Amino acid sequence: MYAEQREPEFGWTDEHRGLRETVRRVLADRAPVARARELAEAGERHDPALWSELAEQVGLQGLALPERYGGFGGTLLDLAIVVEEMGRVLHGGPFLPTVGLAAPVLLAADDPAGDDENAATEYLPRIAEGSLTATFAVESWDAAGEPVASTTADPAGRLTGTVPVVVDGADADLLVVAVQGPAGPAPYLVEAGATGLTRTPLETLDLTRRAARITFDGTPARALGDPARGRAVLARARAVSSVLVSAEQVGGMTAATELTAEYARTRTQFGRLIGSFQGVKHRLADMAVRQEMAHSAAYFAAWQEPGTPEFAEVAAIARSYCGDAFLQTGLDAIQLHGGIGFTWEHDAHLYLRRARADRALLGSPQQARAELVPALLSRVTTEGIPA
Amino acid sequence: MTVTQPGTEPVIEQVTLAARASDAEIIAAVEAWLRAHLPEDWQAAVARGDLAAVEAIREDPERGPAWFDLLGDSGLATPTWPAEHGGLGLPADRGAVVTETLARFRAERHNRDFVGLVLAGHTILEWGTPEQKAERLPALRRGREFWCQLFSEPGAGSDLAGLSTRAVRQADGTWLVNGQKVWNSYAHLADFGLLMARTDPAAPKHRGITYFLLDMHTPGVEPRPLKQMTGNAEFNETFLTDVVVPDSARIGPVNQGWSVAITTLMQERNGLSGRPAVGPGEADTLVARAVGNGAWENPVLRDRLLEAYVEEKVLQMTTVRSFVASGDAAPTAEGSIRKLAHSVLAEKLGVLGTDLEPDGAVAWDPAEGSEAADRFLAMKTYSIAGGTSEIQRNIIAERVLGLPKDPDPERHLPFNERGRG
Repeated sequence: MYAEQREPEFGWTDEHRGLRETVRRVLADRAPVARARELAEAGERHDPALWSELAEQVGLQGLALPERYGGFGGTLLDLAIVVEEMGRVLHGGPFLPTVGLAAPVLLAADDPAGDDENAATEYLPRIAEGSLTATFAVESWDAAGEPVASTTADPAGRLTGTVPVVVDGADADLLVVAVQGPAGPAPYLVEAGATGLTRTPLETLDLTRRAARITFDGTPARALGDPARGRAVLARARAVSSVLVSAEQVGGMTAATELTAEYARTRTQFGRLIGSFQGVKHRLADMAVRQEMAHSAAYFAAWQEPGTPEFAEVAAIARSYCGDAFLQTGLDAIQLHGGIGFTWEHDAHLYLRRARADRALLGSPQQARAELVPALLSRVTTEGIPA
Repeated sequence: MTVTQPGTEPVIEQVTLAARASDAEIIAAVEAWLRAHLPEDWQAAVARGDLAAVEAIREDPERGPAWFDLLGDSGLATPTWPAEHGGLGLPADRGAVVTETLARFRAERHNRDFVGLVLAGHTILEWGTPEQKAERLPALRRGREFWCQLFSEPGAGSDLAGLSTRAVRQADGTWLVNGQKVWNSYAHLADFGLLMARTDPAAPKHRGITYFLLDMHTPGVEPRPLKQMTGNAEFNETFLTDVVVPDSARIGPVNQGWSVAITTLMQERNGLSGRPAVGPGEADTLVARAVGNGAWENPVLRDRLLEAYVEEKVLQMTTVRSFVASGDAAPTAEGSIRKLAHSVLAEKLGVLGTDLEPDGAVAWDPAEGSEAADRFLAMKTYSIAGGTSEIQRNIIAERVLGLPKDPDPERHLPFNERGRG
């Protein structure tokens, strides 16, 4: 990681700033936190009109997809900015599952030199134009970062097994499933409406996202790319997804910290603004420290070149740090709001719910740390004890 | 185009060290210079990892200073200083690459020069008169003068502006200084001290302080070493009794010393969280030790090590980011964020180090010592020195989050009308 890493510039270009401003403006207008709450309370998955607008007018679904698939050829960094902004307002629905979890697998499996009939050609343009939603289904991950999949594929490509929790799983048009294939874990594709596919909606901790248990019973599926590369494809996609989930966590903790600081600047008790009490201001200072550090971790990773071993390492570092940091900030935000923070009407619990649910999307922070072990040990043993 | 320093041949092609030079270009230029100038036995000791041999050369009373003269005249010791004062005029992030490269050859300046090189250097560059710059900067660049800080007092710790050491203007224009300072690292060895003293007791506490560059060899300056909780005696209490200070030693305007001190304090906070690079750190060292002694097999210790490793890497990333984002602009409250994070991490690492060798950290062979115990005892330095973590949290909350200032009923009172604490 040390010798080869790309130097992160951490300096925003005018394009980055413009993108952030545009996304922030659209979301403030069409999808503030109050809207996320409204959709959740109404039991709606998302706002389909906004989804179309984001695809057709702002071009967010295709922002980081290659131009040959109808995208804009943007970078992971561009997409991280978008997802961070969405994280600030607790934007839910199919965006992150489609663009942040499923599309990275389709891209990682894509072989541009291969035939034109590949899955990327079929599905990515539809994601870019907003006519297809997708998600990624995996049971869990082991300590080495390998997907654990008891779902199996028979030689004809029919799947059998159960994935207990799949975010947006009941509604997504396309399921990218981590399957135990003949050559180890590999991604398979299942379309909505396939025979033998059962999707059981679940109640979710994060009210802004739906989830389902998915059962395959001889369900027809299609292997995504070369099954022999399945393990590498899933690992590469997971690193990309880790950076995006970290960016979402950064957005969430930034908003929760701002919300809490604003309360401390305006709420009076004992004749003083509560933000003048060190018990309050010191906890808030710690929230600010975590937010700064999380931002550094997520964007240090977003600035690296995807696909390298260094990238996988910094992505895991970001997933570990941001996952823990957002959870603590979610807890602190409620604590510093006192009784009002424990009410349904206040937004603080929405951030805490998101913080906990996000930690489960790609394997826990502790698992992320376990994934650092092989590279760390090889450095320690080959380079000796650093001075 | 070349940089020519007095007393040496032109050493560094300025074009290669321009602000737009890449890391690789800077590293290559510095390495080439080191290979041409660093003594051969030094280079050989570095190559075989014999740090004790390198340290012996660095501390040699003749060879050490000879090296630091050469380094100082090359500009490499002070890469961010302007060229007119013997620096290379690089922005902070580029300068850090120079220092990082020197450190790989153990050719960088001593840590104990921090107060001089970083604090005094930047304070003089920003506030000094042309005479002060001409007199002090060349020696600072070469490490020929040793500096200490005379800020804290028994009655003025976190409330630094409440200091009561007096400096009274004499008829002949000199200042007569009386008072007591404390926590003055290396004051017993120092040639100069960064001194703050009260010059207008009738003004509110922040507005009656003047800043001096005190010659520590002046009669009446008496540092007395204080034994720290580690058992070492690096710091001192310093008694100042009828010390006569010329007005030419004053830096910045009379009664505006607090503004000068802000420059010093921000450099200090910025400097205490480490160099801006992502690379092997203390956690890597602990991991290596744990692997070596089997502690790594304990899954609880292993996750604690990995947590500390992640935290250290993320702090390094934050330091890199702050150097890039701020360029060479003055450090701000952002330095407090990194200092606080570093203090928390240092404490974690200190405890963790002892947990990796539970016996070795509580009793050891006197001939061998215990690095884990040394670090355990030293770790509390970071959350206190340079402003406690509580003060850093106040600064972050007030300047970054806009929370109300901590109540200070004496802030606007004349200093001599405030209560005594």
